[in-house]
Amino acid sequence: MNRPITLIASLFLLLTIAGVMWRDSHSPVPTSLTPTLTGQTEYCLSCHSDLPEISPSHPIKTFGCVICHGGERLALDANLAHSSMRGGKNPSDLLVVEQSCGGEKCHGGAPSDNHDHIQRVETSIQSTYAGAIAIIRYTFGAQPDLTARYGIQAIKDAAITTKTGLPSLLTFDPTSETNPFIQKFGQNCLTCHINAIPRQGNPYSRFTGCAACHTPQSQNQSAKNAGNANQKSQVHQLTTAIPFTQCNTCHNRGNYDLRQMTFVERTDPLTDRLHTYYQPIAQFTKCEYTLDCIDCHTRVEAMGDGDLHSSKLDIQYIQCKTCHGTPTELPKTFTLSDLNNIAFREAKLNPIVDLKVGDTLLITEKDEPLWNTQVLSDGTYRLIGKATKQVFSFRPVKGSQCTQSGEDQSSAYCHQCHSVNK
Amino acid sequence: MKTAPTGAVFFYNLCMRPNFFHHLHPPTIPADQARWKYTLGAGGTAFFLVLVLIITGSLEMFYYIPSAVSAALSIQVITYQVPVGWLIRNIHYWAGQFLLVVSIIHLIRVVFTGAYSATRRFNYLLGLGLFALLVLMDFSGYVLRWDTGVKWALAASTNLIKSIPLIGDGLTNFITGGAEPGTSVLVHFFAWHIYGLMTLALILMVWHVFRVRRDGGIASPPRELNSEQERINRFELVRREVLAMIFSMAVLILVSIFFPAPIAPAMTEYSSLSASDRAPWFLLWVQQMLKWGNPFFWGVFSPLILLTLTAIIPYTLPEPDASEIGRWFPKSNRLAQIALGIIIFWFVLLTIIFLLSS
Repeated sequence: MNRPITLIASLFLLLTIAGVMWRDSHSPVPTSLTPTLTGQTEYCLSCHSDLPEISPSHPIKTFGCVICHGGERLALDANLAHSSMRGGKNPSDLLVVEQSCGGEKCHGGAPSDNHDHIQRVETSIQSTYAGAIAIIRYTFGAQPDLTARYGIQAIKDAAITTKTGLPSLLTFDPTSETNPFIQKFGQNCLTCHINAIPRQGNPYSRFTGCAACHTPQSQNQSAKNAGNANQKSQVHQLTTAIPFTQCNTCHNRGNYDLRQMTFVERTDPLTDRLHTYYQPIAQFTKCEYTLDCIDCHTRVEAMGDGDLHSSKLDIQYIQCKTCHGTPTELPKTFTLSDLNNIAFREAKLNPIVDLKVGDTLLITEKDEPLWNTQVLSDGTYRLIGKATKQVFSFRPVKGSQCTQSGEDQSSAYCHQCHSVNK
Repeated sequence: MKTAPTGAVFFYNLCMRPNFFHHLHPPTIPADQARWKYTLGAGGTAFFLVLVLIITGSLEMFYYIPSAVSAALSIQVITYQVPVGWLIRNIHYWAGQFLLVVSIIHLIRVVFTGAYSATRRFNYLLGLGLFALLVLMDFSGYVLRWDTGVKWALAASTNLIKSIPLIGDGLTNFITGGAEPGTSVLVHFFAWHIYGLMTLALILMVWHVFRVRRDGGIASPPRELNSEQERINRFELVRREVLAMIFSMAVLILVSIFFPAPIAPAMTEYSSLSASDRAPWFLLWVQQMLKWGNPFFWGVFSPLILLTLTAIIPYTLPEPDASEIGRWFPKSNRLAQIALGIIIFWFVLLTIIFLLSS
């Protein structure tokens, strides 16, 4: 009687030892990485070795994963390893961006080094949404002028450098507004600022924070094969070669109906670049849809100049004349003489051109180098698409048949003759 | 003179001759002292679990780093990088939990079979003291994780001691190394866990076992009142113990395979407690009482009162009749059974209330 019990107990113990071997064989094989920046071993690659390097300027052997993403670097259990990640899948969300991307030598440095990306983005009109809030409050009588008082988050700017800069913004709280339209605006219309969770649907699909722009969505290959052109998926990538489709996750997606204070999505068929770029009602020239947004609009326009502003008009300044000049003036140009010029850094991040000291470029009215342009010896210009790498040649207006007054050279005037007929 | 064959001598030495472990036991004991349905094997299992805890804990010490920065990371190393480290840690954890459960079963068995007579009352106190030490060891071991899952334990241990009138601050410094979480506090918990409490617990455990032998083995009626005179020898006793150890070890391994010990992200900042921060399961009843107000009264005084009430059961309530010792639910000490039942019911009730309310 006793012997069978001992035998059964022993077999039970042997079985559990076999279970240990089974469990051990199912554990992930640790793959260690010790990035040079942290010197701390991490095991993320045990499961994520298939992920592409996020960008050439963030090599995995230098940065690793944890310095940006956080997480439990030694854990091999997915739940624990991911439990303390900053911003979930997106460490660049503005709530955590300072810990993830900040630091003096990274993106939280001084304006003089052009390393103040986070400060500029946080104060930019794309983050504060101060312009839209100010217009709506002004329109419905909640404030006497268009000067912004509120942003998505309260924020201060201790160093104002522009005429339109504001010292601070308060947090916009729609529930404390008395006008029902403003309240409804708060409920329905705050999905476009850079840290907002986007509207539902693939056309709006994007991350928040830096990744809202710098992590473009790739078209899901299987969806593409199935004929669903709208389905996108996130990729592990940070790039400055941002295609217009990424900008269009917020822009050109529809219109706000101010009577209903709701967003009306565009419904026209998005068949090709010409018909996808802008809404049917928009007027635009050929270069405005063959180029990508970032081929014209600069880093300061997109990410801000470090000041808080009341309107996008305070920061957005590129017009046709920036590259084409006017009937009486050529566009501004600039010859590279210093390797520390920001143009070299930008060209290094997106190596579509081989810039050299002595090259002459177009430069904006605010002296931002248009580093993907080149002034050719015959007096014409060349631009290489930052996202498409397509080469475009163009001429100045001066010497052409254009009869438009030099004073009236904003895009709207150019559209009168040069708009594309869809 | 005939000489036994070499093989027979070898077999005798190996299997029949009492070895070191046999000699730790009496040559024979009354059979009724070693029946599963009487003892439930709880005391012996508790002893075995302590051995498991010492061995697995010692192995963990090769990798555990008692510093605020490295503690949680070193536990991740044990769990994920060290060969079978996960198994050692899980067994250590589950042995600790089972030890509390088995100890409570042991206490219930002792009271509900009237196994504490006048001569065994002191050993009852030793056992109860040992149980209190085991709770503190479990608690201090829990804090050693130093991850975000132990925030309640950390805050409670420092704040409750601090709430004691007059001596609170001094006692906090002595026991936890200060009220501010950091390496000093962690090292204090580490020292208490592996040295201070451990030493006291080992002394009490040896004393407790010694007193069992001194008091005539596991409680049973006196020979003149006991109709059963059967005895078992030390070989049978050791065989039963080994059987219990094999079974307990198998259960420990099985549970360790499928239910890993809790682990949470490393504690990088010492933020205040939130509603989701919980006590370890065996102290949820204290966490529930703390919701009612004064931390000293509900968190220190009340648990001590409950411990005292449990301790005085053999000294104040009617003793079991000698003829009923070793029988389940004797009529003679019904009051003691009811008293212990109420105390345990109180723990369980508070735990359930806490779980339901959160």
